[in-house]
Amino acid sequence: MSDERPSLADGGSQAVPPSSSSQRAGDSVAEDDESERSTDANEFVGEDIVVGYPGSEEPVIDDATIRLPPGEVTALVGPNGSGKSTLLAGLADQIAIDAGTVLLDGEDVHTLETKELARKLGLLSQENVAPNSLSVAELVSHGRYPHRGVFDSLSDADREAIEGAIELAGVDHLRDREIGSLSGGQRQLVWIAMVLAQDTDVLLLDEPTTFLDMHHQLAVMEIIERLRDEGDVTVGLVLHDIEQAARYADHVVALTDGEIQARGDPETVLTEELLRDVFAVEATVEATERGLQITPLAPHNG
Amino acid sequence: MAGDPSTGEAVSSRLAWLDRVDSSLLSLCLASVVVVLLAGFVQIRYGDFAMTWGEAWAAVSDPNVLFSVQAWKGFLLGGELPELSNQSLIVWNMRIPRVIVAVFVGMNLAVSGAIFQAVTRNELASPFILGVSSGAGLAILLTLVALPGVTIAIPLFVAEFQVSTSMLLPVFAAVGGVVAFVIVYAIAWKNGTSPVRLVLAGVIVSTVFGSLQRAMFFFADDLGVVQSAIAWITGSLTGTDWEQVRMVLPWSVIALALAVLAARQLNVLLLGERTASSLGMRVERVRFALSGVAVLAAAASIAVAGIVGFVGLIVPHMVRNIVGSDYRKLIVGCLFVGPALLVAADVGARLALPVQIPVGIVTGLVGGPYFLYLMRRQETMGEI
Repeated sequence: MSDERPSLADGGSQAVPPSSSSQRAGDSVAEDDESERSTDANEFVGEDIVVGYPGSEEPVIDDATIRLPPGEVTALVGPNGSGKSTLLAGLADQIAIDAGTVLLDGEDVHTLETKELARKLGLLSQENVAPNSLSVAELVSHGRYPHRGVFDSLSDADREAIEGAIELAGVDHLRDREIGSLSGGQRQLVWIAMVLAQDTDVLLLDEPTTFLDMHHQLAVMEIIERLRDEGDVTVGLVLHDIEQAARYADHVVALTDGEIQARGDPETVLTEELLRDVFAVEATVEATERGLQITPLAPHNG
Repeated sequence: MAGDPSTGEAVSSRLAWLDRVDSSLLSLCLASVVVVLLAGFVQIRYGDFAMTWGEAWAAVSDPNVLFSVQAWKGFLLGGELPELSNQSLIVWNMRIPRVIVAVFVGMNLAVSGAIFQAVTRNELASPFILGVSSGAGLAILLTLVALPGVTIAIPLFVAEFQVSTSMLLPVFAAVGGVVAFVIVYAIAWKNGTSPVRLVLAGVIVSTVFGSLQRAMFFFADDLGVVQSAIAWITGSLTGTDWEQVRMVLPWSVIALALAVLAARQLNVLLLGERTASSLGMRVERVRFALSGVAVLAAAASIAVAGIVGFVGLIVPHMVRNIVGSDYRKLIVGCLFVGPALLVAADVGARLALPVQIPVGIVTGLVGGPYFLYLMRRQETMGEI
């Protein structure tokens, strides 16, 4: 990633040069060649994405290009209302994008049949609901939905994926509990197990740690870490906690007002200037042996 | 993770859980079968034509009927019945078909309600939430008032086919319900639907159609027409025989089989649109198809019994309280509890008072207090 310098926006101008798609594709090939982790994981790229909501003039996401390198973890950070969740939903084809293309392993996701897409791309939204009397194992087994025909029962492969997901998410001891009896943190782990059971090449998680206690935040990030170590899954996640992004992500993408302000390694992106310009926070950033230590000091006004 | 139980405990608790769920569904179904059999037998024994228990049993187990191909052909396909004793004729030609129709209507309404509760993600939804009852009601009134006693002759190639109002009414009622459902969907549609939009559109259509329906009453010039209309709108099994069985059976089989097969889709739909969609479900398509199945079941029951209220609302609720919200069990439970409620209620409707009252009145009288009980007992209601 040496060619990617964090480019900071000055005065709201376009931070990311609107590169032609052919040039971008060329870049990715070059990067793949020099990538140390050669995996069979898939690259996931959104090019020149524009997403708006019906009724509003201004698009929420205005011409954003984002690339999730195969088998690695990319964190999206940004203040409230910067469009992180919208970008994620647009990339996952869950809300219609107005312009741009999303390529999964070189294939346009809009041409994929919905179940086919769901076999390759998993998205866990921010807030999820399930009937209280549903058991944990049942909920996880719903992750196999895209792999099953309408009338198929669970195959051995399905069972294996469910067991693997339950083990990876560390919810084996909860498997027979009802969802309604779980704490918020336990619930989140179970939902993650469900999306893991989906067994996708690309996994997008929208604020998986928000509102969780410390124990469960760490439990969630440990799952991400294991996915990163295994390197089979391309992970994109929205994080509110910048220190978590610094510690667990290979790449950080910073968003404000629907535009990408900076991208690159955590060390190069998460600087004091960026925290001031993007998050409007005065903070100190120190490199320690446990990664970056970010200490917010005061809100930055003006 | 705190509180890891030992493996032994985990295994035994898993077994206990399986045991509990499956046995609760099983005992629910068995209890329902017992209720259907008991209530059905009471229905068969009592009535204007007096019989003793022994005579009733002899008629039910009459080998001249049970093992007669001709009798079953007559029942199920229409046609000549063999020579029968008076008792057998009354039991087999009048009282048993009424119980059978009640069984199918109960199944259809319960399953239809269960599906709509998943589609709208609201446990207070009923089969009639998307305007089906108002459409059917309006069609009934229009038919009774605008076409009183008209006989329409439809020329066919072979022979002339005579159709009277009483034959058309069930068809019109069912079609009216389906049309109202389509209108509701069209109103709710704006780049797709949502449960809330669907329910609101249902309210709108029900309000307008309900007003039109009540306006039609003022054009009825005959008390008989009004009574007949009220019986249809409240839901009644009076006068049902094998013709109604023949009418409801094929549609019920199709709708109920589809409902059982769709249980997993319903389960995924319960996780909310966003999750269902990111799991690869075409939510709009599945929701429309499932609503269609539910409307088919409701329309089939309307065609033979009119608009029986509350069954579709309370039965899924009762079953959910016992077996949980897994639709693979819930639908099966509804197939048993629905008939139990309706057959038992019909005993009350037919025998409790000197005159027969519509069964819908009894289900309403039972359903109201049951909901009151639930409301008092449960903290939260509404969300599944």
